[in-house]
Amino acid sequence: MSIQVIEACFIVSKMRGENTIIVHTMSAMPMISAISPSPLNITSVPLMGGASGIGLGLAIAQPDRKVVVLDGDASLLMEMGGMAQIGDQAPANLIHIVFNNNAQFGGVANLDRPGGAGFDFCAVAKASGYATANRFSTVPELVEGGPALIQTPGPHFVELDIAKPPKFTRESPQPEFPDMQFARMSAEARAMMDALGVSK
Amino acid sequence: MAITDYAIPASALHDAYRAQGVNAVTTVPDFVQFALHDAMKSDDNIRYIECSAENQTLTTAMGLYVGGMSPMVMMQNQGLLNCLNTLRSVGLDAGIPLVLSVGAFGREFANLGQSITESRRVCVNLVEPVMAAMGIPFFHLETTQDLPKVAEAFATAKQQQRVAVVHIGHYPSWT
Repeated sequence: MSIQVIEACFIVSKMRGENTIIVHTMSAMPMISAISPSPLNITSVPLMGGASGIGLGLAIAQPDRKVVVLDGDASLLMEMGGMAQIGDQAPANLIHIVFNNNAQFGGVANLDRPGGAGFDFCAVAKASGYATANRFSTVPELVEGGPALIQTPGPHFVELDIAKPPKFTRESPQPEFPDMQFARMSAEARAMMDALGVSK
Repeated sequence: MAITDYAIPASALHDAYRAQGVNAVTTVPDFVQFALHDAMKSDDNIRYIECSAENQTLTTAMGLYVGGMSPMVMMQNQGLLNCLNTLRSVGLDAGIPLVLSVGAFGREFANLGQSITESRRVCVNLVEPVMAAMGIPFFHLETTQDLPKVAEAFATAKQQQRVAVVHIGHYPSWT
């Protein structure tokens, strides 16, 4: 059983209030940008692993807003120590969702990543001190479990079983990255600061 | 000069950073800056956040900054070399004007008063050229007379909209 990225992003977009900040990366990036565009979105790109740290900082700085991090499994593995500091700081407004497709470059090349399907992210989250840690493998599970994430104090950790879509192949190889890929985090950071009223 | 002449009082560094409005610190603790860590952590006006690795000091500081706080980062020279890609992303591509207080771990006392690029220790002599190669403004503090460089670093980071490094050349004193 698994959840499509678009389904997960659609449910997140329904859960977010108008004041919710979203930090996203990797597989969630194109979908959340299309489904739920907002100056309160910021992409960790090209910065694999950066989403959880950025989300923690935003959650601390903006305690009256929910902060949702849409992380990648390989990204989270890269910066797993960040979960310890999230547990330490324990921002009640943080919801850390990992899109676990059990792949590096999921949906692009679908390469194996360390840990495999058996790696227990929720166990690490619980050991780190998150308030809750749950795994959802179907849309109904996410729909049923989602509201509690918003209504109760966190930090919450959610692992989603995400399907791996088709990948780039010999017939359809990787495209060139546009300049925007390297400029968007700066532009989004400044747009968010304007939206938050904290521009310096 | 005596070795103690190179020990900038931690209280003076703390005051210099606070004068720039710093209200948060993200850090992987630095052997060189123990006295400053103590001063910053003891300050109730500063949200002091220990991180697991230097990449996270930068990303968390970025989140704090975008969220409206005024963070700075503390780390060791080895840590700076450890996080170059994140430094590239957060400090250059994203242009977040963070100031990093970086200690010269491993600098031999015989190098005090000399150029740090002349140090025998690679983790010391490599830092300034690597920062220059990345186009990151670098402000070395050798004695108390260099304290005005702290303000200069913050002004430069803000003006250039990029990260800047304040390099602490010797152990700050516990005064």
